[in-house]
Amino acid sequence: MISERLKAAILKELKLDDYEFTDETAASQVPGWDSLNHINVILAVEKEYKIRFKNIEILRLRNIGELQDLINSKIQNAH
Amino acid sequence: MEFTIEPNETVHRRWLKNAELFPDRDAIIFWKTGEQPFRWTFSTLIQASEKYISFLLSSGVKSGDVCAIIIRHHKDFFPLYIAVSRIGAIPSVLAYPNPRLHPDKFRQGLEGMSCRSGLDWILTELSLKDVISPLISKKESTIKGIFYPLDIDPDNEIIKNAGHQINLKEESEDSPLLLQHSSGTTGLQKPVLLSHKAVLKHAANYASSIQLNEYDKVVSWLPLYHDMGLIAAFHLPLAFGIPSVQLDPFEWVMIPSILLEAIHQEKGTICWLPNFAYNMMADKTRDEELKGISLQSLRLLINCSEPVRFESHSKFEKRFIPCDFNPLSLAACYAMAETTYAVTQTTPLNQPKVLFADRQELSNGRFKLSDNKNSRYCVSSGKVIPGCTVKIVDEEGNDLGNDMVGEIVIKSESMFDGYRNYPEKTAEVLIDGSFYSGDLGFIHEDELYVIGRKKDIIIVAGNNTFPEDIEDAVSSIEGVIPGRVVAFGEYVPEIGSEQVSIIAETGAAEDSIKSKIKLEIIRCGMEIDITIRNVYLVPPRWLIKSSAGKPGRKANKERILGKELAES
Repeated sequence: MISERLKAAILKELKLDDYEFTDETAASQVPGWDSLNHINVILAVEKEYKIRFKNIEILRLRNIGELQDLINSKIQNAH
Repeated sequence: MEFTIEPNETVHRRWLKNAELFPDRDAIIFWKTGEQPFRWTFSTLIQASEKYISFLLSSGVKSGDVCAIIIRHHKDFFPLYIAVSRIGAIPSVLAYPNPRLHPDKFRQGLEGMSCRSGLDWILTELSLKDVISPLISKKESTIKGIFYPLDIDPDNEIIKNAGHQINLKEESEDSPLLLQHSSGTTGLQKPVLLSHKAVLKHAANYASSIQLNEYDKVVSWLPLYHDMGLIAAFHLPLAFGIPSVQLDPFEWVMIPSILLEAIHQEKGTICWLPNFAYNMMADKTRDEELKGISLQSLRLLINCSEPVRFESHSKFEKRFIPCDFNPLSLAACYAMAETTYAVTQTTPLNQPKVLFADRQELSNGRFKLSDNKNSRYCVSSGKVIPGCTVKIVDEEGNDLGNDMVGEIVIKSESMFDGYRNYPEKTAEVLIDGSFYSGDLGFIHEDELYVIGRKKDIIIVAGNNTFPEDIEDAVSSIEGVIPGRVVAFGEYVPEIGSEQVSIIAETGAAEDSIKSKIKLEIIRCGMEIDITIRNVYLVPPRWLIKSSAGKPGRKANKERILGKELAES
């Protein structure tokens, strides 16, 4: 389940008014989320949650559901 | 170490000679994040190519056949490419399709290429089987077969006995070596055919310009379907006998710091980059990623392909000086597929010269030094390399001389043999042995300054895009008035590259409908693998028409950007 917080961070970075994300949504399906913009989205998410992803974690992400899971596990580990 | 070419020498003979001279020297160091680098030496690379030679010959591939290679970053790409070439077939590296690209568009592109280049075989990954297979069954298709070389059964008898009975025909220096595709949408790209002689002459001439030596090591994330990646970062080091570290372009674009890590770990000395990469690395690398990174080994960081931007160099220099980056290693070159690669190059360990030019004078066709507000930085692309000559000409082809802006015209020892099966296009640009580049620039004190293009090509992160392709696609969207669309490049200083912007006329008035149209326009770009960053919707009859009756790009770009500026 994609949180409103993650959705808002992505939409803001991509300058989109709205987009229906599901767990299976891949970056390539989202308007404006191309390979050049990928790092901007990742940096925006890191900033929003005050977390850091490892390089290998970024490369393994296949969809937004996995991004949400990774964020959740980072937040949990921080507590 | 001097690069001398023997009479009638071929690239193949050079590869075999290097395997004999430096059998244990690294040739290709294949990097993949999270894995130990895989190291092909000059001898193991040749040995591995023999497995593929046996496979290709037994599969019916013949000398002169064009083989498209569509494979993502993989260590076996390199021996496979060498195998295709060694049997006398012509390798043509094509981009693996982006998931955004609609499969039909990808197929159409390949069909177009097949008609133009006479594509005979496709060597690709199993994951593309369903997308590409329908092409073979088409009646008019030139494609004879598709192979999946990364999935060959190692127990196959042909593969097991590879190398025992290989008896290859010796190529001549004039034989075609490779086919690379110049700018344009897939299918409309211009196929540039290069001979062994062109590639070797280029290697010799360019090596002397950059003072290439046996201690050099190239590091590159550049895609191999691009001339900068294929010629500068692959063919040049392989012919010269020095290592090349190859990174995955997709990994680099997601994590730009991996290039710095590779330079540090491998003690890389030379790197070629398009302009936007300087901004990307300076802006998108986190401080913690730079801990322990030293760029001390780097002696040349060469900016080419796009107009070189002074701001991008400054940004990079400032960000990486704490990592032992030597600002004198900043360099620039001017290059294109039609001349194999480089035409000009700045002198090693001398930063490119920067001129402050009067904008008004430049638009009037003349360079004049200036210090007023209306000035523009012009960065030198260096001096003409040996074996090349450059002149600046006007619309009638008259030589303009120094400090005058005109089209850059080149003669080169490593000139292409024309666009394959495209005589009319070749005749347009290759006149009396001179290549008319379509680029605009001027020569000042023996150095070339490239300032733009004659045509409206949009260069996004090193890739050329024709506005017509985008305009045609966007015109078909419901709510957009057909034919009333303009696409143009908007330079974004923060990223050091142009981005695609669209102005489209619509009769829609409601904001919710306009939002939907904007989203559809962006989606439409995605289907042809083009990212549209800005969409400006305007009312009917807003666009200014050119004398030909079509909306003019330059005038409408100036109008919309002027309007935005006034409203901001």
